[in-house]
Amino acid sequence: MLKMLSQNIPAFILIVLLFACTDSGETGLQGQLLSGESPLSGASVEIYLKAEKDRSTLPFATTSTDENGNYQISLPAGRYFIIGKKKLNDDGQTRMLMAECPANPVEVSESVRSVAPFPLREMGRDGALVPEPQTGLVGRLVHEGKPIANAFVYIYTEAESGLMGPSYGEATRSEEDGSFRINLPAGRFFLAARKRADGGRMGEPEAGDLNGTFPGNPVVVVSGQYLPVGDFSLAKIDAVERQKRLAAGKFDQTETRFEGSVVNRDGQPIEGIYVFAYLDSRMVGKPTHISAPTGSTGRYILNLGEGGTYYLGARSTYGGPLEPGEWVGTYDEKADHSVLAESGKAIALADIVVREVW
Amino acid sequence: MRLFLLLVISFLLVPYSYASTITSKTVWQGQKIITEKVRVEPGSHLVIESGSTIVFKGGSLEVAGRLTARDVKFSGNKWSGIVLKGCGLDTLVAGGEVSGAKIGIQVVGGEPRLEEMTFTDNDIGVELRQQTEATVAGSAFLENRKVGLFVKDGAAAAILNNRFEKNGRYGAYIFRSTPRRFSGNVFSHHETALMVAYSGSNPELVDNCFDHNKTAIRVEKAARPLITGSDISNNGTGISLYRRADPLIENNLLAQNGIGIAIAFSSYPKISNNDFVDNEKAIYLEFQSSQWEQSKGASARQAESSRSAFGSLEKASTELAPPRNLDGTIDARQNWWGATANRELEKSGADGNPGFIDDGRDRPTFIEEGKEYPLDRVDFSSWRKSAVFGGAAQ
Repeated sequence: MLKMLSQNIPAFILIVLLFACTDSGETGLQGQLLSGESPLSGASVEIYLKAEKDRSTLPFATTSTDENGNYQISLPAGRYFIIGKKKLNDDGQTRMLMAECPANPVEVSESVRSVAPFPLREMGRDGALVPEPQTGLVGRLVHEGKPIANAFVYIYTEAESGLMGPSYGEATRSEEDGSFRINLPAGRFFLAARKRADGGRMGEPEAGDLNGTFPGNPVVVVSGQYLPVGDFSLAKIDAVERQKRLAAGKFDQTETRFEGSVVNRDGQPIEGIYVFAYLDSRMVGKPTHISAPTGSTGRYILNLGEGGTYYLGARSTYGGPLEPGEWVGTYDEKADHSVLAESGKAIALADIVVREVW
Repeated sequence: MRLFLLLVISFLLVPYSYASTITSKTVWQGQKIITEKVRVEPGSHLVIESGSTIVFKGGSLEVAGRLTARDVKFSGNKWSGIVLKGCGLDTLVAGGEVSGAKIGIQVVGGEPRLEEMTFTDNDIGVELRQQTEATVAGSAFLENRKVGLFVKDGAAAAILNNRFEKNGRYGAYIFRSTPRRFSGNVFSHHETALMVAYSGSNPELVDNCFDHNKTAIRVEKAARPLITGSDISNNGTGISLYRRADPLIENNLLAQNGIGIAIAFSSYPKISNNDFVDNEKAIYLEFQSSQWEQSKGASARQAESSRSAFGSLEKASTELAPPRNLDGTIDARQNWWGATANRELEKSGADGNPGFIDDGRDRPTFIEEGKEYPLDRVDFSSWRKSAVFGGAAQ
């Protein structure tokens, strides 16, 4: 009995702490699970003490989402990893939705901490697209009936991004005769294509660039077949339409936002800096929100979709590895660069200090 | 009074420009003041006539079509500069001057020509990016605050016969790019005249001249250029190799530098058929050890290069090409070390410790994090009996 107790001391301590804290009633986590942008009810929320690669045990605690996709769970102070899961059965076909909270690990200290909502994804569908043999799409890009060479075709796994931006799962360049072939796994995909005047793969398309989303979206790719999508027609971007779209797009003013200034070490405002907000504390990959570049005053407004804990960084280019001469910095009021956004509120932040890297 | 009125009238007559999009052939001439962004659309052509003066007051010029500008002065106070996006070979900016910009001309893709231009007083004179095949020839890069010419992002440009003088940090910087030609350029009075850095930077640097720079050429972080046919004289350090820099250094004249070639941190060049003349030290090694590279090199690089822009660990670093050799030697055979040095070599032989090389024979070890590592040695075991460049190097 003593041996068994000694082996389980850590778990015992945690259970004692758990009860101790729930007695006082006020530490834990709350948040919401989504499917796309809709609340996901009846999903499991699993709380682990270790990161995914180290996780080989049962969850430390579990709960499930209510009819609005919300969950709340009491936990002792500590550091946790949240996983959301839901098994679906559609027409006899079982599908598993799952996702790790982008904010993992999440610290719980003195209160019930709000975690930003995150969507579950169908396993084996999102994320990296691993092609199956002899499976994918073939087609041809055209503009006013003529083939478009060296344009990029993008494959998105979901349409929520508006089929713009860097969240595509795969991309390929069209050949001289406008034809393209993309190797994919079986699944349901959305196509977009663009040809920028500068030949680039990334970046905001300009007036005069060619752009289009495939009218037959979504397309369903079946294992062992190249789905012919035929001619995919692109149109020239009109300058006026582009301005309207920009105004209504990612720089659209929202109620929930951070505001502040980007300065150098001497406190002088720095122009042309983007501020990035990540839900993932590692601050890698694609940011969840991004500001317009700062002007000559160094001021920025970072519009957010929802409240929650965000991790902020700032740099003078849109993405990619750091280049010499680039300005970079993080929001350093907290060591982990985090800041809590409250839904519906504009929060003024301390200056973000950037330095030039060479 | 009459003069004053004349001035006012002439000021009012200067054409101002405004946010605009050019969609057909357009000609500018005389003096023009640009206050907003002007964009030349694909398929359209902006011609700026010879002798014109374009002043930017908060505005910019972006050309996605075609630009012809001969003998035109572009100026402003911290204006954003001219952007050439995907412009073809028929875009020519020649004989003029660009000053006062953040980036004088930024070339994004395409293959425009910049010829006999002067870039001065900009943060960056010219920036070439996105695999551009631009040609930059016969131009002067003078006293730009940060970099005269920045070649990055896979640019495959031709950089020919340009003059770089007194630019702030670097005369030219080649970053993850391999220009298709880089020759006939002259660099003087820089902290670092030419930087070649990061894997993917493997250009052939041919027949260039470096004079009176603190460091003439710096190669670092896995860049592997060929440096040949160049006159590298009167600099603090002729060539500085740092952190896995493995260039080929052949057929150059390295004369009257403080150090001819400085080698540090796992750099394994091949140095042959060069003339070393009257340098204080021909070759100098520091923190350079095959043993350190074998035991710590990969992990040290991993710790640094796998970090994201914001400092967190992100991914495994790209594996680099292996060093040429890890036997504790730097291959510097078949060079001409100068007449005096040659006499010393004839006397001491291949097993001696020549005074013009400072390596593991002089300082057998160095200490890093409390551990002692052997400093590599330079292999000079065979040497030229005559100079490559004849009389110039005697």
